[in-house]
Amino acid sequence: MLENMLTGLIYTFRWDMLLAVFTGVVGGIVVGVLPGLSTTMGVALLIPITFGMTPAVGLAMLGGMYAASVYSGSISAILLNIPGTSSACATMIDGHPMALKGEAGRAIALATIASSVGGNVSNLCLLFMAPPLALLALKFGALEYFLVAMFGITIIASISEKDLVKGLMSGILGLFVSMIGTHQQTGLQRFTFGIPALYDGINIVVVMIGLYSLPEVIDMLQKQGAEKRVKVRVQGGLFRQMFEYFNYKYIVFRSLVIGVIIGIAPGAGGSLAGFVAYYDAKRTSKHPERFGKGTPEGVLSCETANNAEMGGALIPTLTLGVPGSAVCAVFLGGLMIHGLRPGPQLFTQNPEVIYGFIFSMFLSNLFFVPLGLLTARYGSRLIELPAVILAPTIVTLAVIGTFAINGSIEDTWLMMIMGLVGYILNRCGVPREGLVLGLVLGSMAESELARAILLVHGDVSQLLIQAVTHPIALILVILCLLSLGHAIKTQYIARKAPILPGLEE
Amino acid sequence: MMENKKKRNTGFLRWVIALMVIGTVMAFLVSPASAQNYPTKPIVLIVPFSPRGGSDIAARLIAHFVQPHLGQAIVVENKPGAAGQVGWSAVAKAQPDGYTLGYVSSPSILLIKGLRENVPFQMSDFIYIANIQLDPAVIVVPPDSPFKTMNDLVEYAKKNPGKLNIGGDGPQSNYHLQAVVIEKQLGIKMNFVSYSGSGPVIPALLGKQLDAGIPGISSAVPQIEAKGLRALALIDTEKFALLPGIPLIKAATGVDVSPIGASMRGIIVPKGVSADKVKVLEGAFAKLMKDPKFIAKANEMGVPLKYMNAKQFSEALLSDEKELANYINLLKK
Repeated sequence: MLENMLTGLIYTFRWDMLLAVFTGVVGGIVVGVLPGLSTTMGVALLIPITFGMTPAVGLAMLGGMYAASVYSGSISAILLNIPGTSSACATMIDGHPMALKGEAGRAIALATIASSVGGNVSNLCLLFMAPPLALLALKFGALEYFLVAMFGITIIASISEKDLVKGLMSGILGLFVSMIGTHQQTGLQRFTFGIPALYDGINIVVVMIGLYSLPEVIDMLQKQGAEKRVKVRVQGGLFRQMFEYFNYKYIVFRSLVIGVIIGIAPGAGGSLAGFVAYYDAKRTSKHPERFGKGTPEGVLSCETANNAEMGGALIPTLTLGVPGSAVCAVFLGGLMIHGLRPGPQLFTQNPEVIYGFIFSMFLSNLFFVPLGLLTARYGSRLIELPAVILAPTIVTLAVIGTFAINGSIEDTWLMMIMGLVGYILNRCGVPREGLVLGLVLGSMAESELARAILLVHGDVSQLLIQAVTHPIALILVILCLLSLGHAIKTQYIARKAPILPGLEE
Repeated sequence: MMENKKKRNTGFLRWVIALMVIGTVMAFLVSPASAQNYPTKPIVLIVPFSPRGGSDIAARLIAHFVQPHLGQAIVVENKPGAAGQVGWSAVAKAQPDGYTLGYVSSPSILLIKGLRENVPFQMSDFIYIANIQLDPAVIVVPPDSPFKTMNDLVEYAKKNPGKLNIGGDGPQSNYHLQAVVIEKQLGIKMNFVSYSGSGPVIPALLGKQLDAGIPGISSAVPQIEAKGLRALALIDTEKFALLPGIPLIKAATGVDVSPIGASMRGIIVPKGVSADKVKVLEGAFAKLMKDPKFIAKANEMGVPLKYMNAKQFSEALLSDEKELANYINLLKK
């Protein structure tokens, strides 16, 4: 095995491999920054271009695209409050407030290093621990997925500490939106009103773009009178600021573990990894009240986790041929086009290609660092632009981005409706994250529960027994209870000792 | 002077216009021969699924390899939505000038017609050019499953109606349809559990959450080859070229189960494309299906090929449409 690795390592440093990684990374950054061009789409569009290349070079380019686009979604999240890719959703919660405080450069620098570390560590897991970790993926059945989704839903309660009722309202709205479309087990159509555009359900990225970018624009235009909205503060070199990251070793470690594990569980995805890590950082922080107002921990926790999710998701993809996420499903197609059959034999049959690919992923996760820092240096000035320029730019990007997802004009209408919803929610102080989480997890929770019940032939008591006797299910049940308990506790404390208006910050 | 010049110019213009009109008329007069000039610009191939699934990958492969046989590039355009309905509606409505092709997937398209109301196209709105792919269903079990043969499985299902958990893409998909047809023709009852695609069925089997699975063979090839899964029967009338060891359903059970769930994918154009253009397309795809480079690449990728010419393809779809009518109600839970 060591010999195979060495062959792969040497192969990686051929000039054509390096060029491929670099090209992939540059393409990935563009795809990631532009809203609507998702990682999945970027990889899918790149696959035919790699037809003529040797497998190792083609895969290296795809890997570069993958890693860089997962990272660079955070840039538009921070600067414009539009998630460049769906995994950057949690990054907005603190990233954009940081930018509004004039710390866009710092936020991007931290997101860059966080993504790089997250990607590289998860890649190490892929390199050394793939087979045992892949077995973990197989232990996830319908019941376990349902519980993962439930755990995610409990996070809504903790996001909305200030006003539980509003948080739950937002969550329920999200769960409702997730019900639109064709039901996963029966094929029945719900709330589609015979409109074909709704048959496949509501696209999460469409909702996120509308929900976050349009209210921002409306606010911007309302404050038109103010001369300059934001003054970028430059404090010290960005390179030095990047190393601030390592002051948060505890959060980083926890986010890494969360990212890799969520990655391995097939199908959960990067946006969930980001949210769970964010929540975890907030819960364990000494100053949870700073979250949501532009704290660096908020940015680096989710950015570490969403890139760590990538290496995790590749583990079952490569070793079992079971895609860990939508991107990996496309990636699987890419592997097969290059004549590699993912599965148990992959590592022994084509060692130079597959190890070459894994090592090239390390390079990908390093190459975007200088490019990211350049963006932080110059791109962060973007936010200083007057609203008359910035606002139409954001709207244009939002519309084009939404249309680009499926080439459907109905999606752009939906995005605008969601923008209005987001504006109203924002005005009423209802956290929009609840809606996003509800939407991401609602259909997952529902269809997995239905599947789990079908698998035990409708005998729910057997399902309850499984929830206690299956080790992973039991752990997840306990996590759900802990998360709920924590939320109830904070609510209780908040009720008992109401913060006096004068003492608030 | 100015006046004069202007006059001369309009005179000249008139001549030019007259010549152009004559030219156009001539072009129309000789148009039967002009099919030899078709195609003169790139052709769009509408894939009604997102850039990820099997249809898209295969379509891009085809687009790449058919270019030398057609003399023009094919550009893949994804129009996903409503499980294919959006894309196929777009093909049906497209200008029948031969520059818009569609990638069809059957019985998916037949299921949409059969299960939904107000679908804005008819099966007769298309001209069927060539079938490219055939992905039959296969019954697979985990390696240590007590079912050693298909008959073991059938016997168990007969003794315990509705107890056998069988997973597949669904609901109301090709393989769900195939499972229902198997139940009816073998006289058994199974518990069909829907997954979002054939892909997720594989880990559920490896993790032993299911007793059996009914994926498309192309999704299961790597695991069958690696002995991670055992194939009990292939629901087809011909052996699968890459894995000839899998017994056919007829040999395994004695019953000739109709392979209606086998996913067929091929090229269509909207009704109204002129016969000579259709001929050019038929010729190009016939050549493609004999192209050794294309065949090698498809085998490498595990894309199972099956060529049917225009006549065979439309006949196969027509008979499937008739047969489907017997089962469509069984798919409505």
